Amino acid sequence: MTRPVHPGSAYQPTQLLWPMMWLVLLVVVVLVIPHAQGLFQWLAPEAREVIYQRAAFTQLLGRHLLVVGAAALMTITLGVLAGVVVTRQWGRDFLPLVAQVASLGQTFPPVAVLALAVPALGFGTVPIIVALVLYGLLPIVRNTIAGLKGVDPAVVSAAYGMGMTPGQILRQVELPLAAPVILAGIRTSVTINIATAALGATVGASNLGDPIIAGIVNANNAYIVQGAMVIALLAVSVDSMFEVFQRRLRSRTP
Amino acid sequence: MPFTDAPPTGVQAWIKGRPNGVMMVLAIVMLAALWGLDSVSVAANRIVAGSGHASWEAFGWVGVALASLPLLLVLLLAWAPTSSRLNLLLQLGAIILLLILMPVGLVVASHTLIDPQLPQARLSAGAAFWVVLFCAMLALVELRLRLALPRLWIALVMLGVALLWWLCASLWLDRLALVQEFQAREAAFWDALREHLAMVSIAVGVSIVLGIILALLIRRYRGSQRAAFALLNFFQTIPSLALFGLLLAPLAWISANVPFAANLGIQGIGYTPALLALVIYSLLPMVRNTFVALEAVSPDVLDAATGMGMYPSQRFWQVRVPLALPILLEGIRITAVQAIGLTAVAALIGAGGLGAFIFQGLGQAAMDMVLLGALPILLIALIVDSGLGALGEALRQGASDD
Repeated sequence: MTRPVHPGSAYQPTQLLWPMMWLVLLVVVVLVIPHAQGLFQWLAPEAREVIYQRAAFTQLLGRHLLVVGAAALMTITLGVLAGVVVTRQWGRDFLPLVAQVASLGQTFPPVAVLALAVPALGFGTVPIIVALVLYGLLPIVRNTIAGLKGVDPAVVSAAYGMGMTPGQILRQVELPLAAPVILAGIRTSVTINIATAALGATVGASNLGDPIIAGIVNANNAYIVQGAMVIALLAVSVDSMFEVFQRRLRSRTP
Repeated sequence: MPFTDAPPTGVQAWIKGRPNGVMMVLAIVMLAALWGLDSVSVAANRIVAGSGHASWEAFGWVGVALASLPLLLVLLLAWAPTSSRLNLLLQLGAIILLLILMPVGLVVASHTLIDPQLPQARLSAGAAFWVVLFCAMLALVELRLRLALPRLWIALVMLGVALLWWLCASLWLDRLALVQEFQAREAAFWDALREHLAMVSIAVGVSIVLGIILALLIRRYRGSQRAAFALLNFFQTIPSLALFGLLLAPLAWISANVPFAANLGIQGIGYTPALLALVIYSLLPMVRNTFVALEAVSPDVLDAATGMGMYPSQRFWQVRVPLALPILLEGIRITAVQAIGLTAVAALIGAGGLGAFIFQGLGQAAMDMVLLGALPILLIALIVDSGLGALGEALRQGASDD
């Protein structure tokens, strides 16, 4: 969990190399797929149609990002808020339960959470966002609690002694110090959500999981490869961007 | 990781006799659900949407009052804590009583609401039922932490409650939709369960062996450490559906063009890509935990072992490995829980297992079939997680006792 902190390591522009490379590859693949008839014909020789036509890949990518982004916005707000509340003096009663549930809840497989959201909320995009929010909350809550509890109490007392109000201590001392751990939780949450959103195609959402499901149903390998490539590249690009964020944050923390 | 179990702080705050906010909130939510939400729904057959019924329609006013009593008791006890331990034990008793009453309530509802003339009619648990069940579980976790009860104790209580539920379901709840789904495909259910467990065990078994070998190799060739973990992390990042898909195409090509491989049972669809993907995903937690476990052994202990005249091989097997075992077990726990969930996704590429019920149910809009797949998966994940967690705890304690 704890990574070594390098006080002197300054920000290097080469750090951006990987995320940039993945992003460019993602864009290229999304733009090239509609024109790569020959290549995909070779992958699925028997299929009549080899390029997924029901929606453009740019559109599928956009919808995927929208769902994951909306869910991430809600999970980050709610998760950090919950983590802050249970570590305050007046919310302490809830700390053991919330910490326990945040770690126990992660044993629930995301598919099962998604499947259980459908009977409760019906088919479509809404149950997916709800399932993503519920599941994505857990790593963020857990890491927010861990990060805030990891702040040296002596630092908090010093801030109090300097005359800072509790709100100032939280914003200017505790949250900045806990930020690397919280960010690690956000990274886990978003990575899981990109994967779980793809499964949403089985409950009637149209996103990057759609070509894969359609390919499996119609035994069309070309569709499967198209969808899988784009999702994999999306996940890897987002993850490598988080990696850069984390590194910059860590090099800033003394 | 300090947050997996016992509460680090706040124990003193509990004993002072302040109202217990957590239990009060849980009791109020459960009461509100019981009185305000639909507790069951009745459908004329398998596919049509059921019509909801409030608790008083399902159980009668007496039943609702009976169910409210333990909750009011919990509310009262949490609001005015007396001598702490007895108070908490009474709350625990009330919650267990509630869990016992729940299947009885379903039996009553199936007698009052279902017309015996309609053989297709079926009963489903409604929102109130699930909310109360969820909150009761949270209450059990909370009370276990406050009473500092061992995991085993609560596991035994849950086993008893589960047996009671099973008894009610098999004897009197033949109108419950979940039970009907189960009875309609009992043989298929046990097959799916077996397939699911087999796939998880094979994947975890293979990844334990491979993971340990890889971790030892990384320890030997230090230069490869960064690249190896970067690669494993890269695989872990790829969404499961995409990895299954990406493995499917090349494996299909191999089975079509290499007769030898096809004879071995290697196929594009089915369990081959599923097992391959499961092992790939399992490698990161296994390798990381094995590596960390072997590194984390204190140099002082190793020095002492050398001082005692141990050979390097003795030092490795008799000192490093036993001390590393708890962290290694943690790796197996993470791997197993992850594999249980991923195997459910593997049903999409024809690998079978309990996930097949989930996706078939979603396809037919038969939500009870979805439950038939999802609930056992949740249960298995919880059982494996707490079982391996308890084993790790025991190992750790054994290590500190010696």
